[in-house]
Amino acid sequence: MWRDADTAIGGNRDNFPSTQLSLIEAAAGEPLALERVAALYWKPVYKFIRYKFVKSNEEAKDLTQGFFASALERDFFQRFDPSKAGFRTYIRLAVERFAATRHQADTRQKRGGGVDPVALDETLDEMAGSAESPEEIFFQEWRRQLFALALDELRAECAASGRHTEWAVFEAYDLADEDRPAYSELARLHGIRESAVTNYLAWARRRLRALVTERLRGVTSGPGELREELRRLWS
Amino acid sequence: MELSDHIVRHLREVVDLPDLSGTRYELREVLGRGGLGVVYAAWDAHLERRVALKVMDAEWAGEARLIARLEHPGIVPVYEAGTLPDGRAFYAMKLVDGTRADRFLAADPPLGERLRVLERIGEALAYAHSCGVLHRDLKPQNIMVGRFGEVYVMDWAVDGVAGTPAFRAPESAVDERSDVYAFGALLAFLLPQGAPTALRAIAAKAMNTRPEERYPGVPAVLREVERFQDGLAVEAYVENPWQRVRRFSRRNEVLLWLLAAYAAIKFLLFFARAI
Repeated sequence: MWRDADTAIGGNRDNFPSTQLSLIEAAAGEPLALERVAALYWKPVYKFIRYKFVKSNEEAKDLTQGFFASALERDFFQRFDPSKAGFRTYIRLAVERFAATRHQADTRQKRGGGVDPVALDETLDEMAGSAESPEEIFFQEWRRQLFALALDELRAECAASGRHTEWAVFEAYDLADEDRPAYSELARLHGIRESAVTNYLAWARRRLRALVTERLRGVTSGPGELREELRRLWS
Repeated sequence: MELSDHIVRHLREVVDLPDLSGTRYELREVLGRGGLGVVYAAWDAHLERRVALKVMDAEWAGEARLIARLEHPGIVPVYEAGTLPDGRAFYAMKLVDGTRADRFLAADPPLGERLRVLERIGEALAYAHSCGVLHRDLKPQNIMVGRFGEVYVMDWAVDGVAGTPAFRAPESAVDERSDVYAFGALLAFLLPQGAPTALRAIAAKAMNTRPEERYPGVPAVLREVERFQDGLAVEAYVENPWQRVRRFSRRNEVLLWLLAAYAAIKFLLFFARAI
């Protein structure tokens, strides 16, 4: 579920642990914490590079890979100062610097060739109709990925605890990409009362909110930044 | 499968909604989002009236009760505080029918009215400080001016809230003087173009970057504003002799006119006798 061929290079999310680790642990080089950060930020970074620097799918993947490898090598997490900016902004600015340097080097190598015309066509096609800036796309992808990761956890949790009907009701209603089924229809389909549909949805939403909050807690520097990210996420 | 924009939008709409099942409240609409939580308009089914419901993370349950204890005409009365079925803390309060201070200024009210609003805010703030509660996020958006002139200080924050940059004191250790800073910033915000220098000086002193150079508390700022309104010199601004004379003449305008009239009559009588 929620596989994206473009960014599958980020790793199999099912392998990521459910225990939350903080940025402090990431700074200390704790691999699980670093994986958490990469799981959440891989796709936003990839999209940001693609749109900001007009890169092809492969080029953007390489740059994203390069960014995370370089971040690990160059004490990226240790240099994060929460008094200057939130972690999300810190990553975006770092990606921008990293990709800009590589982009300039590539441009020099191509001796004035500048942007790859194939990449430009591909990316421009994707960008057609999108009025958002690369920065806004970065935020939107970050938010989408945050939900996707929390949903993976919720699905795994439901499977492990035998809450199959709860998940099925939630998936059918809240994850419907088109028309949502009526509560009565869901009740009939699963042989439960309509009030149970309401309760199952309330439970799943509550759990999802808690999982999203926990995810965010692991990639923010403290309560202040967490609150600010939550406010931005829900507003 | 990718999460479409449509699904993300829906999740954002439904996942953060408070679970009010089993409570007396029915959710209506979102009124605003602050640093601490979200304020909703809700319907109190027991008393059949609209209320404002502030919903916060569970960790703020104690703070919600603390805010609920504040009783002052300038602080929105809290009807009930507790925990929702989803574990989040909430408090229900009066739904104020009025205008936010920033919008209130759009009507360009006279200086006297602006200072009256400031005084009401200061009184509420001073009361809260006397109860050991800081506001921490005082700004025009958190002030409500009611239809009948009542003024409410809203959205009392709690420990750990950073405040809003233009109204936030620079120091990291927050105390009453940090609220004094925000109060000074609010005074500066409320003043119209071309406001008297003495009032601007009061705001500047309250907003001194060094806390020890500010007024010791909100009542001291209020006293200064009162002195200005009474035509007296204020501590924050050293006048030159000409300004002193002008202020004296403004304050004693009637007396000076009487003296002038007396002198004029004496003068006329003197000449009348001489003739």
